[in-house]
Amino acid sequence: MSCSITRFFSTLLLLPFVFGAAAQRPGYKYFKLEKDNKTVKINTLFKNHQGYLYAGTDNGLYKFDGEKYINIYFENAEYTDTVTAIFQDRQQKIWVGFKSGRIANIINKKLLYFNPEEGTPKKKITAFLQDRENNIWFSTNGEGIYYMKGNRIFLINDEDGLSDLNISSLALAGNGDVLAGSDQGINICSIKNGKKQITVISPKQGLPDYIVTAVVPAGNNTFWIGLQDKGFCLYDHVTKKITVPPAANNWNLGQVNSLLQAQQVLWIATQHNGLYRFSIAANKLDSLPKENTGATTVSLLEDKQGNIWLTSPLFGLVRTPGEMLKLITIPGSPDFEHVHAILSAKNGDIWINDYNNDLIRLFEKDGIYQAKKIKIPALTVKTDITSLYQDIYENIWVGSMGKGLFIVDPVSYKIRSFKENSLFLNAGILSINGRGNSVFVSSLEGSMLVQLGPGNADIEKPYSFTNYNSSSTGTNYIYNIFKDSRNRIWFATDGNGLTLLQQDNFTYYNNKDQIKDGHIFSITEDKSGHIWFSTSGAGIYKFDGQHFTNYTVADGLSDLNISVLKTDSAGNIIIVHKLGLDILNPATGSISYLNNSQGITKINAEDLGAVTQDSSGRVMVSTVSGILSYSFPENSLQKPIALIESVQLFLQDIDDDRPKIFRHDENNFTFNYTGLYYSDPETVYYQYKLEGLDNNWVITKDRSKNFPNLEPGKYTFRIQSSLNKTFKNADEAVYTFIIKKAFYKQAWFIILCIILAAALLYWYIRIREASLKKIERLRQEKIQFQFEVLRNQVNPHFLFNSFNTSYPPLKMIPKWRLNTWNSYPIFSGIL
Amino acid sequence: MVKTVLLCCFAVAFLIPGGFGQAPVLGTKSGTITFSSDAPLELIKASSKELRGKFDITKKLFAFTVNINSFTGFNSPLQREHFNENYMESVQYPSASFSGKIIEDIDFTKDGSYTIRAKGNLLIHGVVQERIIKSDLVVKDGKINISSNFTVLLVDHNIPIPKVVHEKLASEIKVEVKADLVL
Repeated sequence: MSCSITRFFSTLLLLPFVFGAAAQRPGYKYFKLEKDNKTVKINTLFKNHQGYLYAGTDNGLYKFDGEKYINIYFENAEYTDTVTAIFQDRQQKIWVGFKSGRIANIINKKLLYFNPEEGTPKKKITAFLQDRENNIWFSTNGEGIYYMKGNRIFLINDEDGLSDLNISSLALAGNGDVLAGSDQGINICSIKNGKKQITVISPKQGLPDYIVTAVVPAGNNTFWIGLQDKGFCLYDHVTKKITVPPAANNWNLGQVNSLLQAQQVLWIATQHNGLYRFSIAANKLDSLPKENTGATTVSLLEDKQGNIWLTSPLFGLVRTPGEMLKLITIPGSPDFEHVHAILSAKNGDIWINDYNNDLIRLFEKDGIYQAKKIKIPALTVKTDITSLYQDIYENIWVGSMGKGLFIVDPVSYKIRSFKENSLFLNAGILSINGRGNSVFVSSLEGSMLVQLGPGNADIEKPYSFTNYNSSSTGTNYIYNIFKDSRNRIWFATDGNGLTLLQQDNFTYYNNKDQIKDGHIFSITEDKSGHIWFSTSGAGIYKFDGQHFTNYTVADGLSDLNISVLKTDSAGNIIIVHKLGLDILNPATGSISYLNNSQGITKINAEDLGAVTQDSSGRVMVSTVSGILSYSFPENSLQKPIALIESVQLFLQDIDDDRPKIFRHDENNFTFNYTGLYYSDPETVYYQYKLEGLDNNWVITKDRSKNFPNLEPGKYTFRIQSSLNKTFKNADEAVYTFIIKKAFYKQAWFIILCIILAAALLYWYIRIREASLKKIERLRQEKIQFQFEVLRNQVNPHFLFNSFNTSYPPLKMIPKWRLNTWNSYPIFSGIL
Repeated sequence: MVKTVLLCCFAVAFLIPGGFGQAPVLGTKSGTITFSSDAPLELIKASSKELRGKFDITKKLFAFTVNINSFTGFNSPLQREHFNENYMESVQYPSASFSGKIIEDIDFTKDGSYTIRAKGNLLIHGVVQERIIKSDLVVKDGKINISSNFTVLLVDHNIPIPKVVHEKLASEIKVEVKADLVL
């Protein structure tokens, strides 16, 4: 026998010892807000467009990132005010209403009081709304409803026909009307040609109660109405009809504080009886354990991952998994530690085995699961039930280890063993699967296809079957047989890879097709018709008909020790392993996780039969504390949303409205970012790069990055957040900015300097030239002058006159002297 | 429109003061209303001391009215003429008024300073606009001193501004009211 089979058996025996103490309720988490060791009361919750949660408290406004509260201070840090309402308009502006009646906006991450000329109310602000014309409305507890048109504020109060001045909530109808819940019914307000029109819906019109505590949209112009004493009802704004669901008749659960419609469920927060869920389709009201939420529940909100949040004075902020996770437990019995096989039947019942390998049918009665035990006489403690299957006639097929196959009628509880096939008489059944009228059974002795006929609604009628043996499937050990949407039959073999039966031809996919591990445990098909299968040690594979794609830990899987694959109603591949569930989006390859951080522990990932799916696609797994049921929340985003929370220059926040162009010496930037993922904020990985400095991504768990001494240039900071290091389909936030060069390094300045220098040089040369010319001219003039002087001096008249005065007349000069003079050329010329 | 205007005038002149009934109705001892138009080229300021009003402190109802012709202090007599004839058309619409109810629940028999908001109908140039006007009140020895600042958009009251005077007349007029009310 192969090693995997041995492991399969040994773990069956070890299971009772594997499970430990009971875990916390999956998906619940508590975040108390404390200041100076005192609990701060949270009055209201709000989610902004990006998905960020805000908590309005007695100590002002807080942002909540999933791990910690961040106080948003007033611009004047000394102010504090009790927040009673929070709202974000379509222009992304946040409005905060206070108990004092004042109103503030968040501007540059600080609260700034809104000071209209008309003043602000003196009574508590209870709600905000933006109408179709983008006018902001706000309601008060005692003054009626205000609306802002242009710069003016108008009041709707009793004088205008408002039935009461205490307004609890506002909602916008499809035709632009504003619905206001008050202490005297619903006021339908509209402004037509500047005139206020109010219609009141009160008990006279069929409203079950006077006091309306909540009005929330329910789609198609209908609204859920929360009431003070009579529960809730549905109001249709088109027909003006009020419907009270049967579940809300004879309401005795006290005041409804808040309503929230999410994932086809209406969540109801009550004043004294905790949280309720009203399943709209099934018209069914269930309570959630008060010990998980507190008796008083106030505000409700759904985050982008589909978690439902509430506030309660006892626990502060509470994260609940909403419809995503449910734990089915039955106090006292049965013992979930011994559950090796589960089956979700078409009528909503759950079938499991217990320690004695009796069959247990769990059925819901008045919101509580009850157990019915069915004894299969042939089975004992030692002959485990390994697999359960429900055929198209709703009969239950039971596979045992060593005692073969049984079929149970779920109504009469009649049991018969499958004796038609001698091979299966005392077989060790590994799996039972099927599609339509085909039922596949694999065992240690071989596999068979049972073809159901019309008569097989009665379990006593004979079944027709076909055997498969190792000559066709490659091995006798088959873990799973899967018929896909194209009626192809896939065999998950123990060691021989995947075998495909198509039109009577067998095709074998194994290590020659790069399947690294031939021990295949489980097979499923995604919505694109691709086949996915899990292996014993090489992760999972996708087969698109041409190629096999392998997903391992490097691709984000939590664990390679995978038992079962299922495809959920949203088309995700659910990967069951002992640490939890990995939810793989086949389109993007991105993976989200449900594990210990949601309080999920001790999943039975050893028994391939311990995972099932109900008719709506919910995946159910067996855990030590009960049956955990999971469904993908509709329209939810199972990846962290990357946000740049603030950008700092020299550790000082940069104002949001400041142009992103900085001086050369403004070059020290810090980016504070987050990846909002309320299901498990601690898991989030980040990778960043600053284009312009370094184009390589850097992976980090830090939520802040500083870049000192940036050179002038254009930069783009990119931050991505992901639940693993693959960053597949990761969300990205971007901040682009420019650091300008110093003016003396800029081209225009350098060119100007060059031009100036050239001009100076040119000017200098010109001046010097002119000066040289002048000097030359002066020198010439001087020479000329000297020449003229000299010439004048040697003018004969002058000379003679000079001589006449200075020297004796020539005739008086002795001849010898004259001869001597004659020897001088100058004189000789003159003479 | 004419009907509304007539109704409002009627209300201000007769109904509301009449409706105050007996005891705690205060009337203006003195009242000043000043308006200013701060346009790029010219500052126009005028005031009237003929503000009359009544205030029922138990029912929190009030009514104030002023004769448009009583405004004085313009930059020139011609400006006053323009104000009365071209803009306010004071022959047709001789008065402006504000009447309504105080929003806050305050005991006006007790001495003290209060900031209140009055919701009511503001009638100017024959056009009624619903307004909330914030005022400061000082109550002392049974007297009430009111001071209030608010703005009026000319367009709200169908007061046309000829293009030639756009630079001289602001589209938003600031109004300041001060009044002493006594029993």
